[in-house]
Amino acid sequence: MQAATASDRSPDAEPVPFALVARVSNALRLASVDRIACRQGLAAGMTLADARARCPTLVTHPADPPADARELDRLLEVMRHFTPMVALDAPDGLILDISGCTHLFGGAQALARQARAMAGYASRPGFGTNAMAARALARHGRATSDIHALPVAALDLDDGALAALRRAGLRSIGDLARRSMGMIAARFGEQAVTRLRQILGEAPSPIAPRRPSAPIRAEARFPEPIARTEDVMDVIEDLLGQAARQMEARKLGGRRFVIRLLRSDGARQGLAIETGQPVRDPAAVLRLLRERIDTMADPLDPGFGFDAVLLAVPLVEPLAERQQAMEGEEARAGEESIVALIDRLGIRLGPDKVRRLQPRDRHIPESAQAFIPAMQAKAHPWPATPDHPPRPLLLFDPPQPVAVIAGVPDGPPQRFRWRDQLHEVRLAEGPERIAAEWWRRRDGHQPGGAGRTRDYYRIEDKDGRRYWMFRHGLFGEEVNIRWYLHGLFA
Amino acid sequence: MPFPALARGHLHEIHCTAPDRAAAFAFALTQDLIQKQGAQAGAVFALQAVRRQRLPTLFSGDGLALLGIDPNRLTIVEAGSEVEMLRAGLEAARCPGVFMVLMESEGRFADYDLTASRRLVLAAEASGASIMLLRGDAEQRSSGAQTRWSIRSAPSIPLEADAPGLPTIEAELLRCRSGPAGGRWLLSWDAEHGCFRDRDTGEDDKRPPVPGAVVPFSRLRTDAGSDSQRQVA
Repeated sequence: MQAATASDRSPDAEPVPFALVARVSNALRLASVDRIACRQGLAAGMTLADARARCPTLVTHPADPPADARELDRLLEVMRHFTPMVALDAPDGLILDISGCTHLFGGAQALARQARAMAGYASRPGFGTNAMAARALARHGRATSDIHALPVAALDLDDGALAALRRAGLRSIGDLARRSMGMIAARFGEQAVTRLRQILGEAPSPIAPRRPSAPIRAEARFPEPIARTEDVMDVIEDLLGQAARQMEARKLGGRRFVIRLLRSDGARQGLAIETGQPVRDPAAVLRLLRERIDTMADPLDPGFGFDAVLLAVPLVEPLAERQQAMEGEEARAGEESIVALIDRLGIRLGPDKVRRLQPRDRHIPESAQAFIPAMQAKAHPWPATPDHPPRPLLLFDPPQPVAVIAGVPDGPPQRFRWRDQLHEVRLAEGPERIAAEWWRRRDGHQPGGAGRTRDYYRIEDKDGRRYWMFRHGLFGEEVNIRWYLHGLFA
Repeated sequence: MPFPALARGHLHEIHCTAPDRAAAFAFALTQDLIQKQGAQAGAVFALQAVRRQRLPTLFSGDGLALLGIDPNRLTIVEAGSEVEMLRAGLEAARCPGVFMVLMESEGRFADYDLTASRRLVLAAEASGASIMLLRGDAEQRSSGAQTRWSIRSAPSIPLEADAPGLPTIEAELLRCRSGPAGGRWLLSWDAEHGCFRDRDTGEDDKRPPVPGAVVPFSRLRTDAGSDSQRQVA
């Protein structure tokens, strides 16, 4: 028996009509509608203007087909709970082969109920003796389970053939099934016959279930428990070698390795590491594992010994075998050793302690760059900013408040007091005015809602130190204006 | 006198006060540039220990780019303690792709003793990476370092309209393993060549910068009247 499920995307708790819109040949049209919208007479394919005229409270959202496909993939994985044979019926359906699985869930109807609850979406199930029949019932059978009562649209033919069928007075599958196949093939094409025979179960309609990729794992069980850490590490190295062979055959590399140690008294201990690049070299992984063991608060406690060691590689990425290059080999070896070093330091100190600078498209100087964990960082070319006045090498985080005496209220500082020391300003350049990012604030476009403007000055004091200093706020707009040191120039 | 400068594959100590940190960083980071002219320069690891710093600072990518250092080369490592920082620095120095390890410490740094410095020296010699150890507000201590410098910011030559000029630093060689110490140089940034140059000989010295381990600094005589006045900071 087959069950097909066509699901739509509407969250059914919403009391207002909801639709997804897409731009079709320069007009906004409804791509799909939820149940409430459907009841109010809206349908997919309608223009948004028409839909709004009928139903002013319509809530819309742009359609995102790639996200829908991802969600359907996720649902497919979820449906593996019921049967190993799950096939995708693009764009919005799933076909489950539930032969021999129904008794585990208390019958086909109970299975469908559970599956729909698990999917969490409004859905239309259909049951059939073959995949095409189930699909036709789910998509076109309105409360009927008799395939002979289905409309001819269930054949999924092109519009011309459908119109010809209707003109000939053939409205249901049953009408068609009573005619001779030769006549149908002559008048409506061979495809009509093929589809009809598939729905009637006279021709096979195979599905192509998506098979889950076999997880990469290895395990070792011992007749006698082992207790020495070195022995355990030897076993782990052996398991890593097995996993490496499995991954090599599939051109994969592991990003995450999980070790479980089963103690003879039933206790379990886990070790997990993550790497920045896919690896399968057992020696490299073993080094990271040793690093992890060294940093653990309580080291491996064998108790009365370990019974079994299990290795799993839950996160894998493609890793092709690389040919040994003739040139640039040294540079590449250097790069690889740096990646390995970053992994090691990340495991010992924590991944967010090993960081790289990345530019961000922001105006405020401290937001214009971000520190990203080096494992995730990608080398972006640093944006060249020749139109800026120079920026300091070091930024204070947070900016240091200073007391400033300026000649005129909105002029450069003349002397300032910082950390109980008076600095005489010898040279000054500025201001470089950096306005607050009003477009990020809710009331940013209102006067005073954007936040304070900063006037930056590059100054040099009598001791020859160069500072980056800013006045927080404009005279005339704010009353309490403060000065901050924001950076040190070389 | 030819200058036994900051050669690669050695440990160098740089002393500075807290507000001169930027000058010290600029001095340390640009040494790499001088020695790797034209060539693709390698990775730089900047390490520091998490502790209550009196002046918490971050590197600015724009500032690094102005000194000719691609911010993508820099990896910033924050170790939990000074011992961990030394250990991580040692590991980074042993790594073949790393060109410079820049460690930053403040105050006494009790874990940095002769043994620790000797370890760093051996690691640097083996891999050819330079190790720069910044010591902020610290006493000098005997160590295995090749050179020991004291760096401070110096007054720059003003640009038009009394704007602060290009980066200028005063470098004093406190100790040098294979040569006389006690030299003092006033270096200012040479935007054309992208390196620090001696300011006083910069005008008449038209030679291209000398490649190799020798840095084209010439010595500034501290006993000359006019120079010492200029150095009064």
